[in-house]
Amino acid sequence: MAFVENSVGAYATMYAFADSEGDRPTTPTPASRAKRFGRIVPVTIMVLCGLFFTLPLLAMARFSLQNVPMIHLGWSTLFKKWSFSGITRAFGEQGFRDGLKLSSVLAVGTVVLTLGLLLPTALWVHLRVPKARAFIEFLTVLPYVIPPIALVAGIRVIKPHARWFLNSDLSLIPFYVVLALPFTFRALDAGIRAIDVKTLVDASRGLGAGWVTTMRRALIPNLRTAIISSAFLTATVVLGEFTIAQVLLKRTLPQFMAEYQSREGQGGMGLALLAIVATTTLLAILTLATRKRGQAQPISRF
Amino acid sequence: MSALTFNSVRKTFGPIVALEGLDLAVQPGELISLLGPSGCGKTTALRVAAGFEKADSGSVSVNGVDITNKPAHKRNMGMVFQSYSLFPNLTVALNVDFGLRTRGIASATRAKRVAEMLELVQLGDLARRYPHQLSGGQQQRVALARALAIQPEVLLLDEPLSALDAKVRLSLRDEIRRIQTTVGITTLLVTHDQEEALGIADRVGVMSSGRLEQLASPNEVYSNPASAFVARFVGSMNELPAVVRGADAVDVAGETIITPSARTQIPGTSILLLVRPEDLTLAPGTEPGLQGTVTSCTFQGAATVVGVRLDVLDVLVNAHVGSSVAGDLVPGQRVSVRIDGTRAVCEVAAAPIEMTEEPAPAA
Ligand SMILES: Nc1ncnc2c1ncn2[C@@H]1O[C@H](COP(=O)(O)OP(=O)(O)O)[C@@H](O)[C@H]1O
Ligand SMILES: [Mg+2]
Repeated sequence: MAFVENSVGAYATMYAFADSEGDRPTTPTPASRAKRFGRIVPVTIMVLCGLFFTLPLLAMARFSLQNVPMIHLGWSTLFKKWSFSGITRAFGEQGFRDGLKLSSVLAVGTVVLTLGLLLPTALWVHLRVPKARAFIEFLTVLPYVIPPIALVAGIRVIKPHARWFLNSDLSLIPFYVVLALPFTFRALDAGIRAIDVKTLVDASRGLGAGWVTTMRRALIPNLRTAIISSAFLTATVVLGEFTIAQVLLKRTLPQFMAEYQSREGQGGMGLALLAIVATTTLLAILTLATRKRGQAQPISRF
Repeated sequence: MSALTFNSVRKTFGPIVALEGLDLAVQPGELISLLGPSGCGKTTALRVAAGFEKADSGSVSVNGVDITNKPAHKRNMGMVFQSYSLFPNLTVALNVDFGLRTRGIASATRAKRVAEMLELVQLGDLARRYPHQLSGGQQQRVALARALAIQPEVLLLDEPLSALDAKVRLSLRDEIRRIQTTVGITTLLVTHDQEEALGIADRVGVMSSGRLEQLASPNEVYSNPASAFVARFVGSMNELPAVVRGADAVDVAGETIITPSARTQIPGTSILLLVRPEDLTLAPGTEPGLQGTVTSCTFQGAATVVGVRLDVLDVLVNAHVGSSVAGDLVPGQRVSVRIDGTRAVCEVAAAPIEMTEEPAPAA
C-alpha cells in the first residue's frame, strides 16, 4: 500500500521540480556529432525511465485486471480475460463510498485552509519581508524532510490530551495542511515571483483600491495558475496520505484501500492502479491547463 | 498655495537615508521634473507623495491639506510606474476603468470617461486588447490614461520612459507634455535623463543624496547652476585647477579669468573651475591664451566637439566649436584656448592642487 503513497509523492515532487525550474531554452550544441550524441543520451534516459515507470504499472494492471491465476501470467496470456470486475466490486463496498466521501471533504477542507493561510502569508513575505523568503521556504520544506512518522509519534503523545479534537474526522485537516506545505508554498511562491506583485499592488492601491479589492481584482486573477496548481497538489497529498489516517483511525479512502487490499488482493491492487491513473490524469490536465501562462482569458464586460 | 508640497520630508531604509529633509513646492498646473543620479531618492519622493512609503518625519500636503497620514488608496494621486504596471488580466479599457470602478462611479459615466481617456492618449482603437498585446510605449500610454481617468489632484510619473527605446521615448515625451498641458494637471516627473528633464519641464529640481540641490527653470539650471554638483550633472563641464586671485578673478596656469563665481571664495584658495565646453573658444596657437594641442574632433552636426590637451596643466578639455569654423582643425594642431568665465563655477578643491609644469608621475 505504501506504493500508492510513494508514487503520488513522486509525481508531486516531479511536478514541483518542473515548476520551480521553469522552461529553460535548451542551448544548441555547435558540432553535429555532439548534436546527435546530445539527442541519443536523453532519448535513452527517457526510454529507461519510461520502462521504469510503466513496467510496474503494467504488472499491477495484469495482476488486478486479468482473471487469470497468477502463475499463468506469462506472454501467452497477455490478452486473456481482462475485466474490471475487481474494481467494480470494490466500488460496491460501503467503506469505499464512505472513504471517498471523507477524503473528498478532507481534500476540499485542506485546500481551503491551505490557500487561506498561505496566499496572504506568501504575499506578505514577498512584499514586506523579502529577506525572510528563504527562511520561510526552508520552514515549508520541513514536513518533507522530517519523516511523517515523527509527526505520528507526536500525535501519539498528544492523543490522550486532545481527544475532543482528534475524535473529529476533520482533525486530519491541519495535519494535511502541514504535509502539503512543501508543494503548496512553492507553487504559490513561483506564481508570485512570476508577476510584479509590488507594482500591481501599488498600482491598484494608487487607483483607490483597498486590500480586499486589490486581492480580488489585481492579484488573485493573475495568480490563478499558481492557485490552481497548489490546490491540485494539496488534493493529491490528501488523497494519498495513509499513515496519519491509520494512526488516528480515520476511514479515509487510502485507509480503506489498504484495508481492502489485505482482504481482496486483486481488487485492492486495482484500486491502487486506478488511484495512480486518476492522479496522473489530474496532474497532466493541470500541466496542460497552466501552460498558457500570461495569456489572459477574454473577459466580456466591455 | 502650491498644489503639492513636501515639508522637510525625511525617509530612511535602515541605514540608508533615501530622503534627507526634502523641501519642494509644485505650483498648480506646473510640470516639475526631478532630476538626479540613480539612488538619490527620486522614486522614494514620489512614493512618499503617493502614500506607498511613510515618511519618517516631515509632511506632505496637497492643495494645503496635510495628507501625510492618509493611506495610499484614500489619496487622489495618479501614478505611472517605471516598470510596466498594467493589470495583465484586464483589457486596456478595463485597466483604465479600474480606478473609476473602485470609486463606485456609475457605469455609463465610466464608459464615457474610459473612451475619453483612450482618445486622449490616442489608443481608442485598442480598447479590447490585453497588455501583452501592446508595445512598451502603448502600455505606458494606457498607464497614463489609467492614472488620469480618476482625475487626480497630482500626476506622479516615475521614469515613465526609461524602459522604452530612444525613438519612442522622444515622441512619448512630447506627448506627455501635450497631454499634461491639455489637462492642465500638476505633475511631478522623475528622471535620471537630463535631456528629458530639461526638455519637458517648467522647472527642474536637481536632487543629490536625498536633497534638492536646485529648483529652477531648465535654462537657469543649465547656465547658472547653484552648485558644482548641479553643474557637473546637468550638461558637461571642463574642470580646470585654479587659484582664486581676487573678488571676481581666478588664475588658471598664469591666465587671469574673470568669473563672478569667485566672489564667494577666499583669495588664495585652490579651486576647480568648472567651465562649459561652449564657453571655450579656440584661436590659432600664435595668439595669447592657454596653449594646447588638438587631440580629437568629433563632428556633431551644428557643433563640433574639439578635444584639446593643455600644455601647462596636462588636462584634456573639450570645446564646442561651430562646425563651419572647426572644419580647419586637425588633430596635432597647436591652438590657444580662451575661457569665458561668466558662467563658470568654482568648486573648492578637496586637496590643494599643485600646478606643475610636468605631468604628475603615474601612481
Ligand atoms: N524598499 C527599499 N528598501 C531599502 N532601500 C531602499 C528601498 N527603496 C529605496 N531604497 C534605497 O533608497 C535610496 C533611494 O532610492 P530611490 O528613491 O529608488 O532612488 P532613485 O529613484 O533616485 O534611483 C537607494 O539607495 C535605494 O537603495
Ligand atoms: Mg527610481
